[in-house]
Amino acid sequence: MTLLIGALIIGLILSLLALGVLVSFRIFSMPDITTDGSITLGASIAAILLVKGVNPVLATAAGALGGAAAGAVTGILHTKFKINSLLSGILVMTALYSVNLHVMGRSNVPLMQATTVASYGEHLGEWLAGGKTIHILGWPVSSADAAVLFLALLFTTAAGAAMFAFFRTQLGTAMRATGDNPQMIRALGANVELNIILGLALSNGFVALAGALLAQYQGFADAQMGIGMVVWGLASVIIGEALTGTRSLGLTIVGTIMGSVLFRLLVAIALRWGLNPNDLKLITALFVFAALVLPGFLDRFKPRPTSAT
Amino acid sequence: MLALSGIRKTFNPGTVNEVRALQGVDLTIEPGSFVIVLGMNGSGKSTLLNAVAGSFYVDEGTIRLANHDVTKWPEHKRAKLIGRVFQNPFSGTAPTMSIAENFALASRRGHARGLGWALSPHLMKPLRERIATLKMGLEGRLDNAIGSLSGGQRQALTLLMATWLKPELLLLDEHTAALDPKSADQVIQLSDEVIQRDNLTTLMVTHSMQQAVSLGDRIIMMHRGRVLHDIRGAEKKRLRPEDLLDRFDEVRRRELLDESAAAMLNELYI
Ligand SMILES: Nc1ncnc2c1ncn2[C@@H]1O[C@H](COP(=O)(O)OP(=O)(O)OP(=O)(O)O)[C@@H](O)[C@H]1O
Ligand SMILES: [Mg+2]
Repeated sequence: MTLLIGALIIGLILSLLALGVLVSFRIFSMPDITTDGSITLGASIAAILLVKGVNPVLATAAGALGGAAAGAVTGILHTKFKINSLLSGILVMTALYSVNLHVMGRSNVPLMQATTVASYGEHLGEWLAGGKTIHILGWPVSSADAAVLFLALLFTTAAGAAMFAFFRTQLGTAMRATGDNPQMIRALGANVELNIILGLALSNGFVALAGALLAQYQGFADAQMGIGMVVWGLASVIIGEALTGTRSLGLTIVGTIMGSVLFRLLVAIALRWGLNPNDLKLITALFVFAALVLPGFLDRFKPRPTSAT
Repeated sequence: MLALSGIRKTFNPGTVNEVRALQGVDLTIEPGSFVIVLGMNGSGKSTLLNAVAGSFYVDEGTIRLANHDVTKWPEHKRAKLIGRVFQNPFSGTAPTMSIAENFALASRRGHARGLGWALSPHLMKPLRERIATLKMGLEGRLDNAIGSLSGGQRQALTLLMATWLKPELLLLDEHTAALDPKSADQVIQLSDEVIQRDNLTTLMVTHSMQQAVSLGDRIIMMHRGRVLHDIRGAEKKRLRPEDLLDRFDEVRRRELLDESAAAMLNELYI
């Protein structure tokens, strides 16, 4: 049960990362590898501030802002200096590796003693339940874990709703149009370059927020924690699309959150059944490969539809 | 009013691919004038419209529009003054977004975009009414993705979007060339209606002699990056398609003459 709750919580936290990847990959059609660096940046900034005794909410917000700044830099490299979008992300990710080491001062910052948003949640749970354990459907569950899970669910839902709302505002629709048809939205007076920069800042802000929360939940920030995370996000987005379809943005957002949680659960189960943790990234990459290739592959066996236009 | 003076644009200067697309264009267009732009392939019609819209900066010359010197304005800033419909029906709309959202975007042309809802109730009612006048049955499909519509429907909507806020200048670059004849007629008729109703200053590129004689109050014919003929007033009214074809023939003859002269010079001197 503890294992299950742990997997759900991490799945929910990482769904913020998946939502960030949804913005860069699906809305702007740019697989943005800045993600790998900005999740660690969010974790590093939050961790170092927490160790210094800063309020956890402020520390988390600072981590998210750091990620947003990193995303903006990628956007500027791409739009103002005309560097290919993939390469812009690679440059910023590489630079962030050093930045993160400088922020932390070493390669790993433990948070065992610090007050974090996770410890807030744990105290809240114990206070509400009036004890260390509660029973859910007859199972004994640590009330601290249950409270953290509940808060994670609440927060993720709020973040997803906020993203949905944003993409229905004037600015948000202009950003979606920027990814859909830049020529059109430029002719309607929007600054395409600025929208891309803002969009990548938003994306990496979400990613770094996930990093800041993940560090607090798992109790440490680590310089290596971002490796392969963009592929993880892609996998979640793709699973989400399989679950809810892509007919509307709202469904896609809900699907992405569900995809992240489901993927984390599958991984936890696989590890429990003896999957070598070293193979995890390989399997994630293979999964995304299959998800990207299979639809086109299957189409070849379908009768060709006649062109619609 | 649009005033171009001494506009020059060379693509890929100093390379083997150098193209002098505009070689000194001077042109003044009065407010409310509807100008047809004719010319052979590669004569610089699209380049002229793109230069005005700001798709690139011109090498020389100045562009004034509605009392602003817009020569150095970036494209998105000029869009405050200009409405555009492109040749390709895919170019003018955001395909995965709904009809309503596309119009919401158009209704902010030239305005700041903030955190207000894109789909405001103020927009929806007039939008439904306006789209109903197209008689395409689209008023009940405002939530459908615009990418699911036919090319003709899209061009009609793009035209409404470009003119939703009255532009100082409307640019139409062969906006019916990719459509079947019936849809093309529909879109042309709609364009004429909108232009007359709002008295829009318009530049319209076309290859159709029929459209050129029946629409607008002025014709300019481009040739090799310059304005070769400028037909207006009573002369434009009298004009028949045959007259225009004669002018094209004349251009073609001159072209051949140029080529044979060049060949002769080549033989003589090289
Ligand atoms: N972006 C560009 N880069 C290089 N050359 C260009 C570019 N745009 C146009 N040209 C060249 O400039 C010349 C004028 O092209 P333009 O598109 O203005 O012609 P047009 O009159 O619109 O022709 P058409 O009737 O075929 O549309 C052509 O030789 C074209 O190849
Ligand atoms: Mg052209």
